[in-house]
Amino acid sequence: MSFADLEAGAVRAPRRARGPDATRALVFQITTAVASYRRLLNSLGTPKDTPALRDQLQKTSHNILQLAKDAKEKLRRAAEADKNADTSADKRVADMKLAKDFATTMEEYGKLQNLAIQREMAYKPVVPQTSQPNYTTGGIEARDSGKIPEQHALLAESKRQEVLQLDNEIVFNEAIIEEREQAIQDIQQQIGEVHEAFKDLATLVHIQGVTIEEIDTNIENSAAATKEAKTELAKASKTQKSNSSLLCILLVIFGVVLLIVIIVLAT
Amino acid sequence: MAILYAVVARGTVVLAEHSAAATNAGAVARQVLERLPGGGADSHVSYTQDRYVFHAKRTDGITALCMADEAAGRRIPFAFLEDIHGRFVKTYGRAALTSLAYGMNDEFSRVLSQQMDYYSNDPNADRINRMRGEISQVRTVMIDNIDKVLERGDRLDMLVDKTANMQGNTIRFKRQARRFRNTTWWRNVKLTIALIFLLTVIIYVVLVFMCHGFTLPTCIR
Repeated sequence: MSFADLEAGAVRAPRRARGPDATRALVFQITTAVASYRRLLNSLGTPKDTPALRDQLQKTSHNILQLAKDAKEKLRRAAEADKNADTSADKRVADMKLAKDFATTMEEYGKLQNLAIQREMAYKPVVPQTSQPNYTTGGIEARDSGKIPEQHALLAESKRQEVLQLDNEIVFNEAIIEEREQAIQDIQQQIGEVHEAFKDLATLVHIQGVTIEEIDTNIENSAAATKEAKTELAKASKTQKSNSSLLCILLVIFGVVLLIVIIVLAT
Repeated sequence: MAILYAVVARGTVVLAEHSAAATNAGAVARQVLERLPGGGADSHVSYTQDRYVFHAKRTDGITALCMADEAAGRRIPFAFLEDIHGRFVKTYGRAALTSLAYGMNDEFSRVLSQQMDYYSNDPNADRINRMRGEISQVRTVMIDNIDKVLERGDRLDMLVDKTANMQGNTIRFKRQARRFRNTTWWRNVKLTIALIFLLTVIIYVVLVFMCHGFTLPTCIR
């Protein structure tokens, strides 16, 4: 085949020109399928999540894989063809761009697939309600029409009992909650009182701090005054001692003078 | 005593009961058992009679009922019922569904008595009550602290007065000490002057005698 292609190069040129167009269309289809896959994926975890939707998701995924396989084959063939010297630069650039777009799309598809797996495990599909089978035979229908009112009545009675039961439980729980709230409010009030007590204590302690400072000042002043007084008294004591000496000397001298005067007058 | 009477029953058949006081609670309890609503369904109900309230709890066909003070509220009596119901089912299991009247009274009556006492008297039976008690203690201690601090304040005021008094006294003492020192100093000065004067006079007299005259004629010349 390859040799035949080389020999008949000129003749087959118009046919090869269709290759890039076909590959481009294929990549476009893959992009469209991935967009559809994303739209289906966004429905997972919502009320629209049904087994039918999940089946559709599987089919779309399968379709994308098939298209990807074909596109990969074509792109590889195009890459091999680009190695020929005959291929123009424009075609080579277009092929490279196409390959890059394809890679980007497949990468995005991989991410979406991981997300789909996570959501499928996290959520359960909503099973649609199956319609009740209808009876076609008149006889069977007549018999069932007799039972249905009784069943409806029993069902209504059962519902009413359940509602009454729930009302009783609600009343009971409300009473318990109210009592608990009352107790908690008592605790809150007591905590408030303790808080006030602590604040009062802080105020008193602060005021007494000021008082103690005053006491300290008074005692320091007293100590200083006492020290000075002690100094003054020490000096006074020394001076008084000197006074005693002087007084003795004066008395002695006076005595001597008096004695001399008496002696002189006697003679 | 908050909880005075307790019964465990199946339908209207009494299986075990205990009464902490001599009352007609038994008869009223039977009426309550007959009047419980909703057939055999699970329920919580309370009925009031005079100063007492009958609380009843039915689960899985076994009814626990007690009579309590109105002041006990609902939280503690229903916690009590939950507790004895659990103990009863755990102890007797399926036998409770087929036994005769008062079949468990000999053993379970003692359990009822213990639990009645626990839920009536022990503060730990209810976390909120225990917390309330602890906060009351804290408040009492704080009030005591404030009283002590006030007393301390009074003593400090007295101490301030006394130290101010002492300060005044010491200042006065200092002033008088200085005055005393000044007095003794001046006395010293006067004595010194007197001594100098006396010596001068003596020297003059001696010179008068030696120089033969009051005007010292020979010595001056």
